[in-house]
Amino acid sequence: MANPEEEEGEEEKYESFLSRVRRTVYVDELTPHASKSVVESAFSQFGTVKEVIFLPNYLGPKELPTGVLIEMESEQKAKAVIETVSQFPFMVAGMPRPVRASAARPAMFSDRPKKPGRRIQFRWVDPSDDEFDKAQRVKRLVRKHTAEAAFMIKKQLEEAEELAKQQSETVTTHHKKFELIDKLTHDGVAQELAGRYNMKCGPPYR
Amino acid sequence: MREASGDECLEFKWGKKRIVGGKKKDVQFYESFTFDGDEYSLYDSVLVGDANEPDSHELFVAKIIKIWEHTNKRAKNPRQVKLLWFFRPSEISPRLLEGVQDVLAKELFLASGEGPGLANVNPLEAICGKCSVVCISKDKRNPQPTDEEIESADFVFRRVFDVGSSRVLDTIDDKIAGVDVMFLFNRAGSKQEATNVQKVQEDINVNPDSLKLNSLPACVSVPETEDNSIESSDLRESSYSREEGKEKGHSKLAEERSNKDSSVQESTVHLKDHDVCEASGSRGNHCDGNKAQEREVTKQFTKLKSLPAEERYSNTCEDSDSRVNHSSSEKPQANDVKNPLAKQKSMLAAAGERYSKESSGFDDRPQKKRKLDGSDGKGDTGSFKRPRDISSDGKRGSEAFKRPKDKETGDEVPPEKPSLVKEKRDLGVSVSEGRDAKTAKKPSFDGRLLKRAEELADDYERGYQVIEVKQKPDAVNSKWFRPLPWEESMREAEKEERLVLLQNLDPTYTSDEVQNIVYSALNEQSTARMIERTSVTISHTGEALVIFNSRQSAERAIKRLDKGCLLLSSGRPLVAVFAKINPPGKLSSFYGHTKLQKTQMRREARDAVSTSRGSQPNTLEYAMAMEWCLHRARSDHAFQMAIKVLRQLEVKKSLRVNFKAKLP
Repeated sequence: MANPEEEEGEEEKYESFLSRVRRTVYVDELTPHASKSVVESAFSQFGTVKEVIFLPNYLGPKELPTGVLIEMESEQKAKAVIETVSQFPFMVAGMPRPVRASAARPAMFSDRPKKPGRRIQFRWVDPSDDEFDKAQRVKRLVRKHTAEAAFMIKKQLEEAEELAKQQSETVTTHHKKFELIDKLTHDGVAQELAGRYNMKCGPPYR
Repeated sequence: MREASGDECLEFKWGKKRIVGGKKKDVQFYESFTFDGDEYSLYDSVLVGDANEPDSHELFVAKIIKIWEHTNKRAKNPRQVKLLWFFRPSEISPRLLEGVQDVLAKELFLASGEGPGLANVNPLEAICGKCSVVCISKDKRNPQPTDEEIESADFVFRRVFDVGSSRVLDTIDDKIAGVDVMFLFNRAGSKQEATNVQKVQEDINVNPDSLKLNSLPACVSVPETEDNSIESSDLRESSYSREEGKEKGHSKLAEERSNKDSSVQESTVHLKDHDVCEASGSRGNHCDGNKAQEREVTKQFTKLKSLPAEERYSNTCEDSDSRVNHSSSEKPQANDVKNPLAKQKSMLAAAGERYSKESSGFDDRPQKKRKLDGSDGKGDTGSFKRPRDISSDGKRGSEAFKRPKDKETGDEVPPEKPSLVKEKRDLGVSVSEGRDAKTAKKPSFDGRLLKRAEELADDYERGYQVIEVKQKPDAVNSKWFRPLPWEESMREAEKEERLVLLQNLDPTYTSDEVQNIVYSALNEQSTARMIERTSVTISHTGEALVIFNSRQSAERAIKRLDKGCLLLSSGRPLVAVFAKINPPGKLSSFYGHTKLQKTQMRREARDAVSTSRGSQPNTLEYAMAMEWCLHRARSDHAFQMAIKVLRQLEVKKSLRVNFKAKLP
C-alpha cells in the first residue's frame, strides 16, 4: 500500500543499512569485562573503528560470552579483520581465549530498517481447521527447541568452564616451573651446578 | 483392529483391513500396520535387511505394495508383505549404468518390468524401518515435491530399472508389478504449497484414472466394517458411506472416503505422521463429484470437529490433502452448522474470539466471558487502555467508527484526540474484507458482553481470513511521552510482568514490524525489540521482547496466542511466554581468561597480557588458544547439528502450516 516514493525511501534506507552490515564485523567470545574503549583500541589496530555496539544478552545464561558489532570504515577493512582474527588467535583483554570474528548479518542489528516491500499478513486459525493442530504442534516444537537450545548452550558453558579450569592449572604449573628455574639461575645455583657437572649454563637472563 | 499375539518381541498391531481373499478365504489383506513403534501403510517406503546376511548394515529400500496375513493356520510367516524394490546405483552393474546421466547421490531406481528382482514377498518382520523416498520425476502424474522435501528426504527416484531388459528407463508405465503408478508417485496431499483449489483439481484429475486403473481389490462397502476407533462417528459414517456406496459403487473407495471424512475431523494431527494415504483414487474420490453430499456430511462432522482434536485415529491416514480439501469444501456450510455446535464447546468461545480478532474488530471479550465472566474485562478498565475495550467495538478499518481510535489514543492519554482519528483512517483499511456487511449492521459500541454472543454467530461467517499487518498508530507515544531507553523500560516491564517473549517470528522482521503485528493481530499497543540472532541463538527463527502496557494486556496476549494459533505469512504460528531476563549489573564470570596469581609477575608481562594482540605460535598461550578454538568449533558444530536435526524433523513431519486460508 505504500506509494512509490515511500517504497524508494525504504529501499534506500535498506540499502544503506546493508552496506553498513557489510562493513561490520561480528565479534564474539568476548569477555563481558571488556569495555567499549578496550574493544575499540583493540580493533583499531586494523583500521579506524567507526562504531562499537554491544549485543545485550537478556535471555541467555549469565556466563555467556559477549558479542560485539564493530563497524569499520570500509568493507575491505572488515574483511581484513575477519581474516586476521580467524587465522591467528586474537585476544582481547585477557588471554588465552581468543575472540572470534565473522561477517555481520542483518539479523544481528536490532535497530534495522524494514525490508522494503514486505507485507506481513496474518490470520488466526480456526480451531476446527485441520491446520490448527498442526499449528499447535509447531508451537510446542518451538518451545521444545528453545529448551533444547538453552540446554545445549548450558552444556557448552560447562565445557568451557572445564577447559578454563584445566588451562589455568596448566598455566600455574608451568609458571611454577618457570619461576623455579628462574630463581635458580638468578641465585647462581644453576651456574654452580653446571660447574660441578662440567656443563655449560647459559647466561642468566633478565 | 486385531491385536498381535504376544509372542513377538517387537510390538505389532494391524491397521486398516481390506478384503479377505485367497483360495480358501483365509487371507486377510490390510492397508496398514504398526510395527515396532512405526506405522506403515501401503506404498510406504521401507528399509529391509538382507536375509542372506542378517548382520550386514546394508539395507535395501522397497515399497510395500501388499500386506496380508494368513488367518487359518499358523504358517511359518503368517504376516507377509509384498515389496517392490528400489535399486541403488551400487546394486546395478556399472556397464548398465553407462548411458545413464546424472545419477544423484541419493537417487534410487524403481524396479519395473517383469522378472526376478522386481518384487518379493517377505515376512513382515523383515522390515527394518521406514524411510522417505521422494519422487522427483517430472512426469505430469507426479506431484512435484518442494526443494525442502527433496533436501530432507532419505532418497529420491525418478527413473526405473527394468528388470526384464536390465535397463534404466526414463519413462514410467502405467503399472508396475500390478500396481497403478499413481500410488508410486508422491502423494499429492503432502505438498503444502499447492493451494486447496489446485489440489482439488489435481485430485479430480487423478480420480478418473485411478478409478479405472484401480487394480486393488475393492471390498464391498459396508462401512460398518470400518475399523474406526471413533465410535461417535460410526453412525454417521455408515450412513454417509452407504449413500456413497449407492452413488459410486466403488465400495472400497467409499469406505476410504468415509474413513477420510471422519479422520479428517478427528485426527488432524496424526495425519501428518502418516505419509501414506490410501489409493490416490480414493483421495480424489472425496472431492470428486459429490460435493453436495459431502456438505451434508460435513455438517455432522463439524460436531466431530468440536471433539477434542487429539483423538487418536490410528488407522490409515489422511494426508493433509484430503484434509485440506475437506475443509475447503465444507467451510461455507460448516459455518452455518458451527453456530449451534459452537456453544457446545468452550473452545469455541475462544474460537469466536479468534474470529473476531481476525477481523480485528473485537477484543477478547468472549474469552473473558468464558473464563472470567467479565471480571477481567472489567479489570481492564483500570488501565488507561480499557476505555476502548468497553466502549468501542474496535472496528478498526471502518471509517464509520471513529471511536475505535480511542483505543489507541486511550493508551497513553485518557482524553481523546480527534486529530488522531484522521490518522487512523489513513492507516487502517477495512481489514476484514468480508466484514463490511457486518459493520453495517454493527450496532453501537456499547460493548456489552452479551453482545458478544450474538456477534459470535456472525463471526463464523467471517472465516479466518488473511489480514495484512497494518502500521500501528504510534503518534501517541511521541507526542506525549519521551520514550525511555529500551533497557530501562524493559527491566521495569519485567518487574511488572508486562514483558513478553514472542517466538517463532521470521528472523528478518524488525522491531517495528513486531509492534505492528502485535497491534494488528492482538489489538495491543506495545513496544518491541527483536533479539539479535547471534551464534548462540537459533538463526532460522526470530524472537522479540515485547513490552505491553499492562499486565493484563500481556496476559491476554499470551493467552490468546496460546489458545489460538496466529499464523504469519511465513506459516509460523506465534508463541508467547512471559519473558525472564537476566538481572542487570552483575558482571558475569567469563571462562577462559586465566591470570597468574603470582604478583611478582613482571610489569611488562602483566601489561602484555592485558592488551590485545595476536599470539605467536611458539608460546604456551598459543597452544591454549588453540584449545579454545577447538572447544568452540565443537560447540558450534553440535549446535548446528542440533538445529539441522530439528529443522529436518519439522519438515519431515510436514509441520509447515498452510498459511493460505481455506477457500470459502
